[in-house]
Amino acid sequence: MITIKDLHASINGKAILKGLNLIVNAGEVHAIMGPNGAGKSTLASILAGREEYEITAGEIDFNGEDLLDLSIEERAREGLFLAFQYPVEIPGVSNVNFLRTAINEIREHKGQKAMSAKEFMELVRDKSALVELDSKLASRSVNEGFSGGEKKRNEIFQMAMLNPKLAILDETDSGLDIDALRIVANGVNQLKTNQNATIIITHYQRLLDYIIPDFVHVLYDGKIVKSGGKELALELEEKGYDWIKNNAAN
Amino acid sequence: MEMEPVTKVNLQSFRKNLLPAKLLLPKPLIDANEKALVEMDFPNSRQEAWKYTRLNRVAKIELESTAASPINWEDFNMVKGAYTFVFQNTTCIYISSEIPEGISIKIGDKIGSTDWLSSINESHVAKLNVAHAQNGCVINIAKGVQVDKPIQIIYITDGPKQPNFWRNQLQLEIGAKADVHIGYFSNNAHEAYSNVHWSVFLKENSHLVMTKIQNDGEANFHFSTENISQLKDSNFTLNTVTLNGSFVRNDVLVNVEGDNCETHLNGAYIMKENQHVDNHTTVDHIFPNCNSYELYKGVLDEKSTAVFNGKVFVRPNAQKINAFQSNANVLLSNDATVNSKPELEIYADDVKCSHGSTTGQLDEEAVFYLRSRGISDAAARQMVVAAFMQDVFSKIVSKELKAYIYAKLANRFSWQYEEEL
Repeated sequence: MITIKDLHASINGKAILKGLNLIVNAGEVHAIMGPNGAGKSTLASILAGREEYEITAGEIDFNGEDLLDLSIEERAREGLFLAFQYPVEIPGVSNVNFLRTAINEIREHKGQKAMSAKEFMELVRDKSALVELDSKLASRSVNEGFSGGEKKRNEIFQMAMLNPKLAILDETDSGLDIDALRIVANGVNQLKTNQNATIIITHYQRLLDYIIPDFVHVLYDGKIVKSGGKELALELEEKGYDWIKNNAAN
Repeated sequence: MEMEPVTKVNLQSFRKNLLPAKLLLPKPLIDANEKALVEMDFPNSRQEAWKYTRLNRVAKIELESTAASPINWEDFNMVKGAYTFVFQNTTCIYISSEIPEGISIKIGDKIGSTDWLSSINESHVAKLNVAHAQNGCVINIAKGVQVDKPIQIIYITDGPKQPNFWRNQLQLEIGAKADVHIGYFSNNAHEAYSNVHWSVFLKENSHLVMTKIQNDGEANFHFSTENISQLKDSNFTLNTVTLNGSFVRNDVLVNVEGDNCETHLNGAYIMKENQHVDNHTTVDHIFPNCNSYELYKGVLDEKSTAVFNGKVFVRPNAQKINAFQSNANVLLSNDATVNSKPELEIYADDVKCSHGSTTGQLDEEAVFYLRSRGISDAAARQMVVAAFMQDVFSKIVSKELKAYIYAKLANRFSWQYEEEL
């Protein structure tokens, strides 16, 4: 699905990623954990195409395409999805209208014909039920006046609507209470197939109680310093990030 | 060496091809006006009201009336089923046949000098209008009449360098209610000049919504003046939507001359290329217990420029006034400019007033968000910018007129509005 090789990236001259390697295959769930400032969100931003980062070395192959060569929207059309840590409020742009435009631009890109209004509304109904998002919220302005939990549910709702090949969840658990966490995780689990993959970026282990990862990676100082199975997350939770920091220092 | 004397030739030479007023206006008004006008020149940028709006380009045009071409007025129609009349240059080319009882509309030479109520305005624009008024209308809505359909007035400037001076008056008697759509357009015009004046009188408990669509040609000059007088318990809304025109100046003066009035001024302007739009508004609260709300929003692309100057006066006896004013702009290019100056002058102590002005770039975070869902950069920008303007358009109550505006925006700027229609 995606192969990241020796990725180096900086912002305003400051190196953030310093040789990151990662391979994610279809059907897999990967968790990337790490202390604050390790470069977790930078990785998510670069994958989605945020333009303020400079890629100083390395490459990213996404289903045979050079991801770094694609524009933000091309990445989305090729099946990459970022669930934002801080979803943006866009007053005046209705959630469903913009999703309909997005879906139809993606379909056009794939040479498919536009979705009918009826089909689209059925999809909205199904997918908003999946994340227990009030259908009234679905048709309101994007994230405007949404609570923190509603914003995150809206991200997963959009993910469900767009049906991406690779979803990157950037700190999706932050700011969620336990019920919202369960709902969001349940949504993600239901969307999982052997054709798609998920990268979960998180500081804490608790989301991983609900979405069981196949692999856990620890990102520290711009590199993946440790990889393992789901038990690594528990070990991290127990020992804290100092354990990694000390290991890295030795 | 003898210095060239400073002459006042600009304004006078600008007038040389202009015809004297054809409308029958009160003689004292014409005389006083002419006396003042011969002493005037075009204002320069040292005058506060014209600081950011240069008139050189206007002063240079040699205006000349030309014969209008045959047109189909329906090509300029904004809404169906309105009581409509249409001016093409100096001629009224269409009047709806079925104007109901309670609405009196007099046009051109049907207007007598005593039909005009006093309306004084000191600007050179208004004075030129008096001196050269060629055509226009006087509308009276009788006491208690709630007009069932919109009244639609369409003005078409036709031909290059065509001067047009239209003078109009609208009066709502006690308890009357009307929705008036006004459209300014052009046909086959280049460097044409239009100067339109409206005197509006709202008597007690009357209710008026005026929406003007300014969609003049890209190389034309348009001056629009509205003098409004509101009496007790009246409710007035003016929506100004500026979509096109090389140069557009709006002067709005609302005198709130009674208790318990409500005043709404909304403006939307979307300009590009070298276009210039200037909105000058004044709301003068003379009486207590009134509310005024002002919302002007603009989007400026390429090298376009905009001026907003909104004054609110609260006079000494005008207690319990709520006056809110806001101007917000988005610049889509580094070469676009906005000069925004909201002003409050408050002489009463028990009032609630606020004003604000913002000018910024498009929200790039929002654009990124939309693109990250697969929407193209161009479409994402259009969505965000259209959304920015939406709250002004949402003030336009007439669904049909709003649909017309949205269609024009889709056509000219590729903006899409789908909801609430």
